[in-house]
Amino acid sequence: VKLAGEFVFDGPREQVWDLVRDPEVLATALPGTQSMNQISESEYEGQMHVRVGPVSGVFAGRVLVSDEVPPESYTLSVEGRGAAGFGKGHGQVTLVALDDGKTLMQYEGDFQVGGKLAGVGQRMVETVARSMTRQGLESLNRALQARMAPEAEAEEMLAYQAPSEVEFATGVAKDLFAEFMSPEHETERLILTVALIAFLFGFLLGRGSR
Amino acid sequence: MPRKLIGRRITRTEDPRLLTGQALFVDDVDLPGMLHVAFLRSDYAHARLRSIDVSAARQRPGVVAVYTAEDMGEAWQPGPPLVSPPPTVEDVLFNSRTQVPLVKDKVRHVGEPIAAVVAESRYIAEDAVEDIFVDLEPLDPVVDIEKALEPDSPLVHDDLESNLAAHLAQGKGDYEAARAQADLVVKRRIVIDRGAAAAMENRGIVAYWEKKSQQLTLWDTTQSPIPIRNGLASMFGLSEHQVRVIAPFIGGAFGPKIMMFYPEEVLLTWATLKLGRPLKWIEDRRENFFATTQERGQVHEAEMALSSEGRILGLRDVFLHDTGAYDPYGLTIPLNTQCHALGPYDIANYETELRVVFTNKTIVTPVRGAGRPQGVFIVERLLDVAAKELGIDRVEIRKRNFLPPEAFPYNHEIIDQAFAPLVLDSGNYAPVLEKAADMIGYHEFIQKEQPRLRAEGRHVGIGIVSFIETTGVGPYEGARVTVEASGRVNVATGVGTQGQGHFTSFAQIVAEQLGVDVRDVHLTTGDTAQFHWGTGTFASRGAVVAANAIHAASTTVRGKILKLASKVLEVPEEELELEDGMVRVADIPQQCISLGELATLANPLRGAVEPGTEPGLEATDYFGPQYGATANGAHAMIIEVDPETMMVEIKRYVSVEDCGTVLNPLILEGQIHGGVALGISNSFYEQLIYDENGQLLNASLMDYVLPTATEIPRMEIGHEETRSPLNPLGSKGAGEAGAIPVPSLFAQAVEDALSDYELEVLEMPLSPNRLFELMAQAKEKES
Repeated sequence: VKLAGEFVFDGPREQVWDLVRDPEVLATALPGTQSMNQISESEYEGQMHVRVGPVSGVFAGRVLVSDEVPPESYTLSVEGRGAAGFGKGHGQVTLVALDDGKTLMQYEGDFQVGGKLAGVGQRMVETVARSMTRQGLESLNRALQARMAPEAEAEEMLAYQAPSEVEFATGVAKDLFAEFMSPEHETERLILTVALIAFLFGFLLGRGSR
Repeated sequence: MPRKLIGRRITRTEDPRLLTGQALFVDDVDLPGMLHVAFLRSDYAHARLRSIDVSAARQRPGVVAVYTAEDMGEAWQPGPPLVSPPPTVEDVLFNSRTQVPLVKDKVRHVGEPIAAVVAESRYIAEDAVEDIFVDLEPLDPVVDIEKALEPDSPLVHDDLESNLAAHLAQGKGDYEAARAQADLVVKRRIVIDRGAAAAMENRGIVAYWEKKSQQLTLWDTTQSPIPIRNGLASMFGLSEHQVRVIAPFIGGAFGPKIMMFYPEEVLLTWATLKLGRPLKWIEDRRENFFATTQERGQVHEAEMALSSEGRILGLRDVFLHDTGAYDPYGLTIPLNTQCHALGPYDIANYETELRVVFTNKTIVTPVRGAGRPQGVFIVERLLDVAAKELGIDRVEIRKRNFLPPEAFPYNHEIIDQAFAPLVLDSGNYAPVLEKAADMIGYHEFIQKEQPRLRAEGRHVGIGIVSFIETTGVGPYEGARVTVEASGRVNVATGVGTQGQGHFTSFAQIVAEQLGVDVRDVHLTTGDTAQFHWGTGTFASRGAVVAANAIHAASTTVRGKILKLASKVLEVPEEELELEDGMVRVADIPQQCISLGELATLANPLRGAVEPGTEPGLEATDYFGPQYGATANGAHAMIIEVDPETMMVEIKRYVSVEDCGTVLNPLILEGQIHGGVALGISNSFYEQLIYDENGQLLNASLMDYVLPTATEIPRMEIGHEETRSPLNPLGSKGAGEAGAIPVPSLFAQAVEDALSDYELEVLEMPLSPNRLFELMAQAKEKES
């Protein structure tokens, strides 16, 4: 599955660089992350709970940062596996300083999934990945704001929590929905809307009963 | 003469039990002290196994044992091949590589079992599977069958030079010469993809080694209980009489359940012998998508040479067949494809060359149809293309090429799946096709209805195709028929039953011979303790091979009844008749004796049995045909395509079958209904989608589309009857017939419905999406 896009951070490039290389920030930005430890200069190890449609589970993985050119670019290689299958991918991330003091992140990557994640979750994998990326980047941007804000404001800002898993899943569902509302899916829309609502209900009920 | 029961529409005697939940299925077996097994299966299609750590799983409370390939020691062996390669063809290449109980060195498809957990419950076993740490080094997978043969392709089996599993070329006549004389040569590339059998009941096994009685009992969802018994006995050094295999009621099999030995059959047997406790494993639906065999993937380059009158002068077909990670089933499927690509036609010059290819995908073994639908697709599609080019009507071009009724038995001079020459025993093809055309109103539709509907802007099309089905192959089956003291008749045969209505159709044969009520015939199938000679239920052979064995045993018992009754009643045998469970003197019905009384007399407690006679009214007989009987048929349908959604609606469906003597028309129609449903599904719904990494992307019934009752049309069924000269009943098989012609029929009807677009359907399965793409391509070509 190919994944590519752009995102504008409301802050200067150096700060964005520090942010994306900070494991603690990354761990809070990606909902479901249970741990994220730096094990060497360029390697992180962690565990993450992932849900793709009916498939969910904890994935243990490793992130390797290479070809680093601070604060311009780096390559990310990700590998994770768990009872629900495996995923691996690599991507190129570039940071471009914009004139207005903002930073443009460009990313391009490729990932593959296997096991239950592929066999049962396939229909949603791509959208979920895009959604996770978008939401992750948005939370990173909020974390960036918090860092940049003056002390007083910062407390207020930091009181803002990274999204919970339920909020996150709702975000994913919204993205799925938006995708199917595009004109080429007109005929499938009704069925999928019903299915999505059912799915969301199931998810929330499932969460609630734990 | 006995009262006719064969051929009557008798409702199925097994249904009350099935419909009220009173029938035994493997999952109903619940033994005291039973443990449950779950398997750790590979998520990778191709990977080297570096290490496995099962220590955490072993420590989980409730886990009794965890096994890897290493733990099996000497018992770890690749399975014996189920079907050997054909010895009768020159220059045949066959690399036999069979499945293993648990992965030892290398994973070769997603879902291949790596470790097994035995625990107090399935829940615990499944949790413990997640405790296992397995270190797999991913390797580049082999997925596409054409790329698999390229020199730089990764290898599924490292000890082979390439991924070529088999190569076989055969033919007759001189195709090149025929081609040189031809007025028209049509050549097409045809691609057929994989589907699942998707039986309602997944596989399941209960295995129990009872130490004190030294008896191994296996309840198994197999189509082949006797070979399973014999094989397990020899694998584990037991006497065949220490092993009892029971294939109880089975919720559909469709071919994959004749595959043996599945890793689970070997592992559970080995483990119960070690633990001495009953073990149960029931396959879940997701496992079924990876661990139960699949079929149909082939790529053909096919060519047909014709005269301007539409006579087929010759046919050439070169194709690749995907066997998946292993090839335990030999060449059965591609040989069937080679044989059925000749269709019911007189084709004097034929060249056919097959290559079987290993890929990192689930193992391929026959699924209802078993290579036949692909063969039929080749010849029918090429005929359709030619008919269009030559301006000949589709029915007409078929009739011009049929083998005439006086040609039988007709030797095609190529070998079939039984490694014997493909000889068609009998048939009369033209009336079958004509009947199908009449029933659907072919000419009327083309001349009047279709133009009228097209004028309204509707995309309606008609299809009509012919096909043959080789059925009822040997080697043999047997049966034992016993009249009990109650007057009831007990019948045992070796073939298993998976929903075919054997309890009724077989009982009809016995009841007719012995003059009893069908409901007084009690049948046991698929229990090696009841009958232990035979091979299994496959190749549409139950109604031919097993039925004739039952017929033979019934006839012998009838003889014994008449002989004894003649003595008791002091009347010559010729004057006796069997009716209502009694033997009567024809003219004096009050002078009679019941079968029960005769059975008691034949098995006295005291006195003497005459020397040279056997006790009881019982006989065991066997039947082995000289070669297989060949059924045939013609299917026709009218469809409408919605150009907005590309959904295909089947307006009418007609099936005319000639499967020789019909034992029970109701059951035959049920078989055809099921077969056609699979055929429609193979044409427009079911497709296993593998990505370039060998991952199956639609491994659930949410994404793998099975048709439901709303997608399957009502069918109009007609019969013709050309008795097979190869067996006393004159029967031919029909179990697979329904599925065989449908893809070719569907393709033709879709082309006809979309004739404005000059669309050619040269692939299966289709889907609304795919049809949309094909139409877009056709439109592009036009502009």
